[in-house]
This record gives sequence, C-alpha cells and structure tokens, in this order.
Amino acid sequence: MKASCYLIFAVVLSASAPLLPAAPFAFRSDDRVALVGNTVVERAQRFGHVETLLNLAAGAEVKGLTFRNIGWSGDSVFGDARSYFGAPKEGRDRLQRVVKEVKPTVLLVCYGTNAAMTAKKGWTDDPAGAARSKAGDEESLSLFVETYGKLLDLIVGGAGTELREVVLISPPPLENLGHPLPDQSANNARLAIYRDAIRDLAGARGHRFLDLFQRMGGNKLKAGEQSRGPLTINGVHYGEAGYVLIGESLVGGLGLTLSGNLSANDSSVVALRKSIMEKNRLFFHRWRPSNETYLFLFRKHEQGNNAKEIPMFDPLIEKEEQSVESLRAGVFSKL
Amino acid sequence: MKRFILFGLLLLAGALAAPAQRGLKEIPNPDVKAQEAGFKLPAGAKINLFAADPQITKPIHMNWDGQGRLWVVGSPLYPHIKPGEEETDRLYVLEDTNGDGVANKASEFAADLHIPTAVLPGDGGVYVANSTEVIFLRDNDGDGKSDERKIVLSGFGTEDTHHLLHTFRWGPAGHLWMNQSIYIHSHVETPYGVRRLLGGGMWHFRPETGRLEVFMKGLVNSWGHVLDEWGQSFMTDGAGGDGINYVFPRFVGVTSPRASRVLRGLNPGQPKHCGLEIVTGRHVPKDWVGTLLAPDFRGHRINRFRLTYKGGSYISTKIEDLVSSTHRAFRPIDVKMGPDGAIYIADWYNPIIQHGEVDFRDARRDHTHGRIWRISFPERPLVQRPEIVKAQSAGLVSLLDSPEGLTRTRAAVELRQREAKEIMPALEKWYVSLKEDQALQKLRAIWGSQAVGAFQRSWAEDLVSGSNPKARAGALRALYYTAGEEKTSRALLEKAVEDPNPQVRLWAVSVLAQLPWPDTVTLALRALEKEGVDKYLDFALWSICREHASRWLPVAQERNPFRHTWQLFFAGRALKQPVGISHVLKSLAEGEFETEAQLDEVISWIANVGEANHLEVLFSIALADGAPKSRQIRVLRGLRDAVRLRKQRPAGRLGRLNRFLERGNGAVFAEAAALAGMWKLEEAREPLEKAFLGPETVSSTAALEGLRALGGAKTKQFFSTTARNVGMEFGKRLRAVVGQTRLDPKAGAELAVSLLQGARRAEDVQVVVDAFLVNKNGPSALAEVLERPGSAMKPSMALVGLNHAGSSANKSEALIEAFRKAGSLKPMKLKLSSAEMEAMMLRVAAEGSAARGEQAYRRAGMQCIVCHAIGGAGGIIGPDLVSIGASAPVDYLIESMLEPSKKIKEGYHTAVVTTQEGDVVAGAIARQDDTEIVVRDAKGMEIRVPKKEVATTSVSPVSLMPMGLTAQLREDEFVDLIRFLSELGKEGPYKTTAQRFVRAWEVLQPHGRTRDAIGHYGKKIFTENIESYQWTPLVTRVNGTVPGEELPRVVGRGKERYGVARFRLQVNEAARISFKLSGKLSDLTVFVDGTEMKGSREGVSDVIELSRKKGTCTVTVVGLLGGGMEEFSVELLGNPGVIEVAQ
Repeated sequence: MKASCYLIFAVVLSASAPLLPAAPFAFRSDDRVALVGNTVVERAQRFGHVETLLNLAAGAEVKGLTFRNIGWSGDSVFGDARSYFGAPKEGRDRLQRVVKEVKPTVLLVCYGTNAAMTAKKGWTDDPAGAARSKAGDEESLSLFVETYGKLLDLIVGGAGTELREVVLISPPPLENLGHPLPDQSANNARLAIYRDAIRDLAGARGHRFLDLFQRMGGNKLKAGEQSRGPLTINGVHYGEAGYVLIGESLVGGLGLTLSGNLSANDSSVVALRKSIMEKNRLFFHRWRPSNETYLFLFRKHEQGNNAKEIPMFDPLIEKEEQSVESLRAGVFSKL
Repeated sequence: MKRFILFGLLLLAGALAAPAQRGLKEIPNPDVKAQEAGFKLPAGAKINLFAADPQITKPIHMNWDGQGRLWVVGSPLYPHIKPGEEETDRLYVLEDTNGDGVANKASEFAADLHIPTAVLPGDGGVYVANSTEVIFLRDNDGDGKSDERKIVLSGFGTEDTHHLLHTFRWGPAGHLWMNQSIYIHSHVETPYGVRRLLGGGMWHFRPETGRLEVFMKGLVNSWGHVLDEWGQSFMTDGAGGDGINYVFPRFVGVTSPRASRVLRGLNPGQPKHCGLEIVTGRHVPKDWVGTLLAPDFRGHRINRFRLTYKGGSYISTKIEDLVSSTHRAFRPIDVKMGPDGAIYIADWYNPIIQHGEVDFRDARRDHTHGRIWRISFPERPLVQRPEIVKAQSAGLVSLLDSPEGLTRTRAAVELRQREAKEIMPALEKWYVSLKEDQALQKLRAIWGSQAVGAFQRSWAEDLVSGSNPKARAGALRALYYTAGEEKTSRALLEKAVEDPNPQVRLWAVSVLAQLPWPDTVTLALRALEKEGVDKYLDFALWSICREHASRWLPVAQERNPFRHTWQLFFAGRALKQPVGISHVLKSLAEGEFETEAQLDEVISWIANVGEANHLEVLFSIALADGAPKSRQIRVLRGLRDAVRLRKQRPAGRLGRLNRFLERGNGAVFAEAAALAGMWKLEEAREPLEKAFLGPETVSSTAALEGLRALGGAKTKQFFSTTARNVGMEFGKRLRAVVGQTRLDPKAGAELAVSLLQGARRAEDVQVVVDAFLVNKNGPSALAEVLERPGSAMKPSMALVGLNHAGSSANKSEALIEAFRKAGSLKPMKLKLSSAEMEAMMLRVAAEGSAARGEQAYRRAGMQCIVCHAIGGAGGIIGPDLVSIGASAPVDYLIESMLEPSKKIKEGYHTAVVTTQEGDVVAGAIARQDDTEIVVRDAKGMEIRVPKKEVATTSVSPVSLMPMGLTAQLREDEFVDLIRFLSELGKEGPYKTTAQRFVRAWEVLQPHGRTRDAIGHYGKKIFTENIESYQWTPLVTRVNGTVPGEELPRVVGRGKERYGVARFRLQVNEAARISFKLSGKLSDLTVFVDGTEMKGSREGVSDVIELSRKKGTCTVTVVGLLGGGMEEFSVELLGNPGVIEVAQ
C-alpha cells in the first residue's frame, strides 16, 4: 500500500466560512454518524481517511464517536442500486430500514454525480422516473431535486428521534485525465448546477449544506485541458490521495479544524486508520452480506438457518470500535 | 403390497449403525494417486498433476500471463465468510521453469481476498473479481507479492456467491470480458455514467478508456466465454443446459429479468458447464483444433464440442470427452490452453457440488483441497514457450499470427502496454504484406491496432468489403466497439445490411444500433430483404426496432417509412403496437402475405394490437366461405386473446359466431365456445347448453368453458341443476361442479362434496380440486364444507385430493387437513430422521438396481418423463436430469423425491400470479413485458395475464413437482428409482454419450384399419399418411434404446403385433446420408418416407445409406413384437451439419 502523505495536524483548513445555519457544527460524545450516498461514499471505507480525519477533528473531549458507512456504488436518489430482485422502491425501503437500524445522530448524505453525468441517457430504472431521467438536463435536474427531497423525507423520517444533524454534501468535482479517457468538462459544469440545486434543497429543508464540490476545485474544468496533479483514477473516482483531500474538505466544510503536529504516517494514526478499516469490513458483512438470496430472500427456506450468523458480527464490530476508541485516545495523547 | 407411505415405519425396524454423519462415508479418498486412477482419456493423451494442495487450495479461476505463469484464485472461504474469519482467500502464481509439465515454483501474490471468482493478469498487474469489486493488484518492489491495490470498478452484486462476477478473459483486440450470473444485480459507475446489469449477462470493458458496457443479457450461470478464431463469442451455462450458446450484442438469453423474448443455445439437453476454452495450437492432434472444451463439473468430465459453421450460424455437436473420471471429487471448473500447447484444468475438488442447495456449513463442503491437471499428447512435440514480454516490436507483431491462441491473446495484451508509435510501423508493414486471401491475418492486424490503441478503421472497412463472410462479420465487430464514438461510413453499412450472409447482416445491424442516425431502423430492416434470415438476425432486428422506436415510429404514423409493407409489419409487431395496421390490412387484402405462416403472423399481431374495426376484418376472414379450419381456429383464438387481454371486440354483429357453434363439435367449436363466453354472447347460450349436455366429452368440456365465461345467474342455475341431477351422467355433473366453482367457489363447494364422495377415479378428484385451487378463495371454501360432518371420502380418493392440494402454489393447510379428516388419513411420513436417511442411503447403495429404477422412472403414472428430460429428450418443466447423479448427493435426491419443495433448482421456482378477480396462475414466468406476463404452467401450457389485471406476483416456496408421487411406489421400487437417478451422469451406462442417438420418437397407437390393410399394403401401411392415425411421443432410455415392451401393440395379420416408431430427419444440404439401426434385426424393418431400406450389416447393426436432397423425411421403424424384439436404437452418422433430427 502506498504511503499516504497528509500532515493532518499541520494543516489549518477552512479559508472560507462555511454556509451554516445558526449554531456551528460540532460532534458530541456518543454521536453515531451515518454516511449515505453512491460510489464516492462507499469507497471511502476502503481508504479510511475520511473517518480518521472526522474522528480526530471531533476533538479529544468527544468520546464514543462511531461511524456507519452505508454508501452503495452506483446508487441514485431513487435507491436503484440498493434493490435486488425488485424495483428501486425495494432499495429505498432497504435504505430506510438500515438507517433506522443504525440509529444515527448525524446524517451525511452525498448524491448527484450519476444524475449529472447521465442526464440524457437516464439514471434510474424506477418506473416513476425512468422516462424523465432521460428527457434532458432540466427535466433530469428537477426529477433529481424532487426525488432527493422524497428520499430525505423517507430516511430522516425513519431515522428516529436521536437524529439531530442532516448535512447534504455536494459531490466532489470531476477531472480531465486526457485521451483515451473522456473529457469531463461538460459533466463538471452540469455538476455545478446540481451543486446549486442541492444547496437550495438543503436551505429549503433546513439542513446544513457542505460544498465539497467548491472546496475541491469547483467548476473550473476546461474542455481539452488536463487536470494538474489529478486525484482521481479515471476522472470520476478518487484514489488514496483524493480521499485524504475529501476528508480534509469535509472537516473544513463542517467548520471544524485540526490542530497539532502529527503526520498521517505516524504509527498511531496508521493504527487508528487500520482499525477503522477493519471495523468497516466487519460492518459490511453485517449490513450487506453476500448470499442474501439464501439468507433472507426467496430461497431462505434453504439457507435461512444460516442467517443466524449475520448478527454474530455485532459483537465483533463493537470490539473493533473499542479498539478505535482507544487508538484514538492514543493519538490525542501524543499531541 | 407395501406402499411407500409406510416406509418410515419399516425403516425403523432395520438395524441402524451409523450416526448422523450421513453420506460422509461416500467421501472419496483425496490422495492424488486415487484421483489419478480414476481418469479416462482419449487415445494418445496423458494426464499429469501440475499443482495441488497444500500449494494451492480451492481453485476457482485461472489465467496465464505473458511470461508463462499461471495465476489462480482460490477460496477456502466459499460459500460464506464466518463471523470472526479474516478475508484470507488467495491469489497464487504457479510456474514451471524447467518445462517438465509440473509447477516447480508457487507463490502467493495476495492473501487478503474475499471469495475471488476471476483472475486476469495484464497491464503490469492483475485484475481480480473480489465480491463487489474489480480490483487491480500490482507488485511494485518485485518481491512477488502485491503491494498496491486499486479499486477499478465497484457495485457488483453478491446476492449469491456462486453467481459473483466471473469468467474474465482478454479478447483478441485486448478488451476485457466479464460475466455475471442470474441473481446478481450490478450498478457500476464509469466515466460515461452509471451502467446497470440486472440478472445474468456479459460485460465488455476497456480499462484504458474506462468504458464498461453490457454486451448481452441472460443465461443462468454463464460460467464460460470464448472468442473463436474470427472473434465471435460463445458461452456456456452452468445451469441452463443448452450447451454452447452463440451470443452477440443485445442478445438476451433465458432468465433475464423482464425479457419479452429470449434466444436459446446450440445444444438443448446438454449437461451444464463451468468454463469454456477453444483448442488451438500445434501440440494437440490436428483434428482437435477449433473444438470447444466445456467442463461438466457435475459429471466429473470435460465435454468436447465441434462447431460447424452453417451460413452465418452454427451447429454444435458433442464429440468424445477430453477427460472423464470415476473419482467423485474431480470437479473441473476451468480449462485453459497453456503456453506449452498442453491443456490445463482447474479441479475445484469436492465430493459435492457447492450450490446454495447444500447447507453453507455442510461438513461435506471441502475447504482444503484443489488441483491443477495437465493433459498433453506425449507422442507430439510440445510448443516452444514464446518470448512475449521481452519481444521487440516486429517480433511481438509476428506473435499476433501465432497458431497458439494463448500466444496471440497475450501478445495483444502486451501491446496494451506498448506505445503505438513504436508498434505501428511493424504492424503496418505486416498488414501491407498480406495477400487478398489472408483475411484472417488482416483481422488479426486490425485487432492488433485496437490493442495498441491505434485502431485502423480503414483496414476494418476494407475487410468488410472483402470476399470472406467470416472476416466481414469480424471486421464489423471490430467497428462495433467504437461505432458511437467515431464517424462511421454510411455506404459501408448500406451494403453490409444487404450482405448475402446473415451473420454479416447481424453485425451491420449491431453497428447501426450503436449509432445516433435518425434512420437506423429503416436501414436495418433492409436486412430482411435478403434470403436466409436466421433467428439471430431476426432477434437483432426486433431489438433495434424497439430500442430505436422513437426514430421510426413518428414517421410511421404518417406513412410507411420502409420499402415494403411487411417491413412495417415486422417493426409494428416488434413494438406490439398497432402501427401501420391499415397498410398491413390493405396488403393482406391484396394478397401480399402469401403463405399460411405469414398469414398466421399477421393474424396474431392484429389480434394482439388491433382495434374494433381491425378485428372486424379478422372476424370476416374466419367467416369467409372456404376458409380452412386452421385459419378459423387461429382467428377465433386471436379474437379471444383480444377480448380477454384488451377487452376489444370486432365492430360488427357478434352473433355471426353462432355459425361455428351449430355443428357442436371439433376444434373450431371449442374455440368458438370459449369466445362466445368471453363476448358474453347471450344468443350462444342455447347451443352451448346443448353441447354441454351432448354426447361428446370434448365438446361438453369446451361448452363448460364458454358457459363459465358467459356467467350470470342463468349459468349458475344451469350448473346447479345439472350438478344436482342424480340421473345425469357423472362426468357431466362433475363438469357442472367445476363450472360453478369457477364462478363462485362457495356455491361450488356446496355441490362438490357429494361428487367427491362418489368419485372412483383420481382424475375426477383432481379436476374438481383444481377448480378450487385456481382461485385464491377456493381452498378455504372447499375446506369449510369438507369439514362438516358427513363428508367422509374414500381414503384413496382423499389422498389424491390431499396430494393435489399439497403441491399447489395456492397451498392451504386447512384444505390439506380437511382431506385428511375426510379420508381418515394418518399424517404422511415424508421426512426422514438422519438415522432413517442413513439407512435408506445404505439400501440404495447395496440393493438398488438402476435398470429397474429406470423402468419405474418411465412408468406413466410417475409422470417423471412428462416434466423432466434426460439429455434433451423429455419434458421441459423441470430441470434436465442428465447429470443429476453426478452432481447431487444421494440424500439430496431422496429428500427431493419426498419433499419436492424443500430444495428448488434456480430458474425452476414457481411464480404465483394472482389477478384482481382472484384467479391464481402458477408456473414459470416464460416472458413478460410492459403489457403482460406469460406463465408456463405445470402442463407446459402458456397462460397470458394482462399486467393491468395482476394484483400480486410472488415466488412460491412450493415446487411444481407434485408431492406424493412416491406413494405409488413400493419401498424397493423407491430404492431402485433413487439408485437410477444417482447413476445419471456418472461414468457408466447411465451417462449420455457423444453418439447421436435419436432420442425423441413418435409411436403409433393401435388403429382399426391396420389388420385389414396390411394384407394389401404390407408394413408400408404404417408409413401411410392416414389422418386418423394417432402418434404419441416416446423418449428412449438413457442408453438410446426404444424398449419394445413400451410400444403400443398395433394389430397385423392374425396374431402378429407390431411396434411402430418414427422420427423426422432434417437434411440440411443434398448429400449421401447414413444412420445405424441396432437391435434384433431380423424382426425390424425400416422405411424412409414410404420406401423400405436395406442396410449393410455391421455386427449387430445395419448401416443404412442413401442420397437425399435438402429437406425433411420421415424414418419409420417397424418391429415385430413378441419374437424377442426387446429393444432397438437408431444412431445418426456422418457430419452433424448435414443431418439432424427435425425439431
């Protein structure tokens, strides 16, 4: 694994004041943070930087902070990717159920890349949206906003009374990596429009808005011009260094700061990140196990007896979370 | 006679020694020597161990790199990670550095994988399918271990770990191909937007551009894909049973969700396969080159197929196996040609196959073994391993033309890493040196240019204009990949859609489907103007008509955008919309549609989409004087669909229908009766009631349908009166009960019980119970009345009712209980304890006779053959059992016979569609689209249900296989039957061979005329086309023989009795053809059409040879029964492309 190179504690972020309603954002002890979205969210768990940075930005006095990454590659605000044998509604129901089970106090939601990139080709199979998602930019955008609102109704409504913060995050910008990869400048310009719409949606609903798009470069991609020092592997999906920047941008966007003087390569930080990744691995097998057809769905009469193993991941996750907690304390003790 | 119901008790009396570890005794010896002893190979071939556990464990997939190293992924974690387990599955690299055919170097490249199901080295590292992701691993510091891990693609489904993303392969142009199976739903983001593939299918991926597209959809477990020499794709299916499948862009195969049309494979009834490889190179015997290797992991063997190219499509013939084994743990699941020209096999090694039907934690799942075998031909020289990665430009380019497919592919993959400016001079030099007839080499040069990232479009365009049809198709496929991205020549496609070869046209249409042009469909449909539209081309055209509907439909509202009306008809029909219907009806009147088949198609289309005035035209076609009966039937059936599915009726006076009801019999009457009911035609009531009470059972049953649909108080009154009339014939009363029940289950139940009490025949009980089972409120209504005192039934009849109710998708415990009470039946013992199971398995092994078991299997009452095929011959409702014995453990077979619903094979789950009116339709979803669902029921009938009328659809936990079939077997017969099933597919007499036996026959039922006429005609009388002859289907035994004892005894002179069997032979081209008749030849006579044939004797067989023109003929075998004629068989000889059994 390539060494990651951020100097988390040396950087003072947040040059511009975040657009926040009322009180500044702060994590509290025993906060449960759920991350919802598509590929950009799902892959964050494989790198661990986002959770590591948020964890440390919360500060030493905040204890028992836990994260649940329930991002799903290729997902849309209709919940397309989360459905198995049924229509996308099954996916939305699943998301609602999982959010409810996870009992978040803070919900970080990031959708929009797929709709912005597939405006004319359609980005959902939902019967209520398939045709409109193909109809053109304006129609696609209004469908996205309308559906995003409904999705938030569904998951915020079902999340339980503990939920106190909802943050809508604009997707990170795209990059041009040059031939033979496609030019993303037109998509990125469209993404800027989606960003505006997400900001307005957050405002209308009284949620916080975090402009990750702007913080990571915004709408400055020019046709035919290659991005300098690219952070994505294909113009869309971020790699190791990219997720460091995403994590830092989220910290800054929430109005938090990192102070101190420890490198990401410090053994204590590395150990913390590894433990976070292991916890994520265990949680993945818990909330999104393989073989669901046999364990829970229409062939459960054959293997449903083995579904009892799935909750057996819970104590393992808890144990790993204790390790995260103590490793985190270890990092703070070095400051 | 001891009946099987009792056997639970009998078993307990036996001495049971073994504890609960049932079946574990059967675990084969894992010693390599034991496995080696079990192999059977063709002459000249030798097998040796290349690598084995503990060096490698549980190999799933493998591929060679450019340096001659074999990369293998293995998964001890399969099928499901346990809580507390680390992700520790392995990626191994195996190398044979001294060329002795044995790996002497083995290392672990990665040890942190989670059920990896595919591996493909290239691009300086290795691509791995790792559950939800495709990852790329690289070793940067040269220590032989991965130190960089990149997520390439993510969002692949994991709903079933034996369906995960799999079967990675580089194509000749350096593109990456990947498959997924039936339960997987994938949503993958790419730089071009999100791509979704729901269900099985194949992905096409170009890592350098990031473009990922769905190439085809469907197939159950598409575990094999190979591109042939000309770049055409073939696939195998681990659960589909069609052998080799030819696929192309937008192909849709079985089980693809919401598919309204699917294509089938080339070898219906073949075993299921995991993996596919094409034999190439100089090491193997010459006649092996081009044959396909398909591992039949259930049957412990690797099948071999020969493809015959036939004017753009293919005939696939099973030939001698590559290898087979008597060792029960030999599970070949991948096969690849190696760099030395030998054949390498990944042996998953397991005594049981590892589908989800077997418990995830079953102790028989092996987690530690695994082998790589190597098959070579010691008398032939090995191939010198090519130097690929170190080759200079010219040398590398020359490898693109290597006789070894692996070398060609690896050279293309190496080109992916090279600079175009460095390679292109050498490639161009080679290309210009090629002669006109070197079309294959030109295609290879084109692929080379694609692999290096400098596609030479002009080379491909030149080749499309060439004289070799395979090259023209291949070049169009090369153009297909980037068709939407670059400018495509219009003149080229205009010519190609009218190419004489249908496969070339197919690819031209596939290219058009990628383009944004407004007239893609009008261009594409020109392909219909040429001779020879095969099913693939037809499908591609159907597909583009739908996909590009917005480009031609608006024009078609105004005028016919196509050259001919029948093209408009084709397009409108593809869309299932009434587009251009008046044009078509005009052409119909003018006689443009000449043949009865064309007419049929037009009729059924108009019935499906037409409005009242269009239907009126149809109706008048049926009413026309002299209209043939078949056409009348077709029209009436179409009109029935129109009213049933769309509530559409002809515009004119409907009472004209009575014309068909007057005669009161025949098939036309039946159609008209049903239609009259659907139309609610009161004036038809009288003739329908008359026919109901008339002497003809068939007409009476048809009238029942009509009256039922007509409905209303009068109908109820009529049914009630008839059912209560004790003087009336029992059958008619029974039908009246059925009618009443369909109208009103509660009222029906009141009438039903007294008739059930009087029933003496199982069919009568079934008919009545069925009427209740097809309504969601039916079972409870019947149960309620049956529960009343005084409802006692004969136990045998109550048992029939109980079994029937128990195996229905509309299952009701209350009804089962009610039958149990009515018949005073004791609870049936169908579940065996583990001790009983153990004892039963011992008996199967010790006492079971497969030969007697086959007799039981074939017994009419068992209904096995009606639903299941063995090697393609038999029913299609249940899975083909061709290798069930080799794949399923004996306890699984026993359990499945006793409790059919406990484990249901994927693709054979019963769907239950309930309509808003409460009707319950159960069966397999044959197809569906936006407007309707088509269900194939247990009798094989297709039932169309309009989507609008569907209340719910669900997957039933109940198997279509009836429960209680075993009740009619004695215990020893049950043991024999299980033994027979357990031998199917295992090495021995119950494994189907490559011999082309005629397996599906028709046999003549006894007929009144033969006794007298035989004196005049001789045995030729049996070949005469006599309309009242009744021919019924008969399938052969597994060994291909027709048993004499099962032939109906047709009367001849005096005491002579004959068995007469026939089949249709299709001759594809004028040729000398031959087949072999075996049996007691002195009593057998064979006719081709009406001519008696004399064969030349070969041992116990006669070889019959004759010259035939293209077309079909009937072969009839007449056997004199009673003189020791026990069995006979017919085997087709010669080139399979020339003759085949007609479908």
